[in-house]
Amino acid sequence: MTVTAKPRDPLAEHGGERTGVVAKVLVRQETTLVLVVLAVGLFAWSRSSLFLSPDNLTAILRNSVIYFVMACGAALLVIGGGLDFSAGAVFTLGALSTCALLVEGVPWPLAVLAGMAACCAVGAVNFVVVTSLHVPPIIATLGTFYVLTGVDNLVTGGSDVLPLPAGFQRIAQGSVLGVPNDVLIAVAVGVLFWFLLERTRFGVNVRALGGNRQAAVANGLRVFRLDLALYVIAAATAGLAGIVYSAQVGAGQVTAGGTSTTLNAITAVLIGGVSLMGGMGGVQGVAVGAVLLSLIDNALVLTNIPPQYNSIVIGAILVCAVAVDHLRRARIYRKR
Amino acid sequence: MGAPALRLRGVRKWFGSVSALEDVHFDAHAGEVHAIVGDNGAGKSTTIKIVAGVHRADEGEVLVNGGEPRHVRSAADAQEHGIAVVHQDLALVECLDIAHNMALGTLPRKFGFVLDRRRMEREAAKVLRDLKVRVGDVRTPVGLLSGGQRQVVAVARAVRMDKPIMLLDEPTAALGVQETAQVGEIIDELRASGKAVVLVSHDLDFVFSHADRVTVLRLGRTVGTRLVADVGREEVVGLITGAIAPDQVHDGEVA
Repeated sequence: MTVTAKPRDPLAEHGGERTGVVAKVLVRQETTLVLVVLAVGLFAWSRSSLFLSPDNLTAILRNSVIYFVMACGAALLVIGGGLDFSAGAVFTLGALSTCALLVEGVPWPLAVLAGMAACCAVGAVNFVVVTSLHVPPIIATLGTFYVLTGVDNLVTGGSDVLPLPAGFQRIAQGSVLGVPNDVLIAVAVGVLFWFLLERTRFGVNVRALGGNRQAAVANGLRVFRLDLALYVIAAATAGLAGIVYSAQVGAGQVTAGGTSTTLNAITAVLIGGVSLMGGMGGVQGVAVGAVLLSLIDNALVLTNIPPQYNSIVIGAILVCAVAVDHLRRARIYRKR
Repeated sequence: MGAPALRLRGVRKWFGSVSALEDVHFDAHAGEVHAIVGDNGAGKSTTIKIVAGVHRADEGEVLVNGGEPRHVRSAADAQEHGIAVVHQDLALVECLDIAHNMALGTLPRKFGFVLDRRRMEREAAKVLRDLKVRVGDVRTPVGLLSGGQRQVVAVARAVRMDKPIMLLDEPTAALGVQETAQVGEIIDELRASGKAVVLVSHDLDFVFSHADRVTVLRLGRTVGTRLVADVGREEVVGLITGAIAPDQVHDGEVA
């Protein structure tokens, strides 16, 4: 195909081969996001001198850890063409099962592993319902969410699980060289997921699966194995987030997870530029999305804006982020 | 002539109660281009998908290199048996770039699990260079390519696998005149390099200029196989439409 007709080349139209570093940075979703973060930050700073204090900035980061850890697994799943609405209930399950073992005197590393294992089992159930029973992911995982929420409440009788040993609480409350441990956990999870997605065969296969499932099958990818891995990983990060949250607050709270937790994770994923259509997006965007959610929480409190406005702001940003993203992609990936 | 690279015997396929293939048989040989032609619904694509491992035959045999009947259960099985496929819908992932698409399913690794991106891009560029095609940088997402460029990437992917048997399902359906000629050249080169090329096509002009042998399917049955050099268009069209009676076949052996 002697495609030498340069003027009709879509890359050339977008300055593709001539694109400099500046243009490349500008065209990314994260750039828009970082600008929004700066704008919200500036707004908060202009209204409250407390905003830029180290304590406040640390609080914002620590609050975003929960969103981010959950969103990493959720993002990988969405990129692979799936969706998990059970995350909020899995979050609570991870927290409660780990804490229940802790009060029984089980050493914290074991309790954490067991809690994660319980969550992974739920992920495997999601996988079976979606792939074997052919229930669409959104419905299958919503079903799991309700069932699990009921179970979480039944087992604990609705009361929090206390007290937790100091060793466990240090997971989130301690620090290394001034950096809080929970932030370090988030960084480790983020690096791991970035590596998985961008540097391994698994990551490429996940993108292929989400980008075009039929093509993935036709090219001999083991799609069932990939699906299983994705649902289990999504559940594992939701559980891990619940466990870290328990360590942050020092209790296994029945009300910790729930609908808002599920929606926050998915919102961070979507604001972060991951396409619900599958295939596209990355961990960097999700990280900025998580920080943005946490930042908005914080800014509204500092500026004495009633908390009701929180959902209004987040809803508006979510719709704008996805619309802007869609516009940009529609310009680049024109269907032929 | 030695054992055929690919032999189908008495292949039948139902989808539910609908019979898609009644009795398909043909032999494809190394160093030849074997065309499969027929009207819509004759079973061309179903036949290709059975060989490619997308569908499974309900009856009959698929033999590779004269060996035991192969059970091709998946696309990965087909690759293992030495079969590379260019699907009619191309099976490309738009959000991945050319190099990733060309290596999909067989991504090169280093240290066991890290994607060897450099090698992947080098191999993709080399295959495209060898095919003398220009589709731009191998890091270009396939979503940015035109229909013709995508077709080339799909063909290049099959070529990169370097398998002895190549199946091409309607490789020129979406192409213009110049692009069709280019795919024709690639097919000629594949034959010259000793591959068994199975070509499904609607385009009889293309078949007559590039194929060595042509098998006609009609209503899920093989109705005849001819050497292209010995047959006229009218006869092939007659077999396709049913105006000419099917060949009498014994034990799946065809002239």
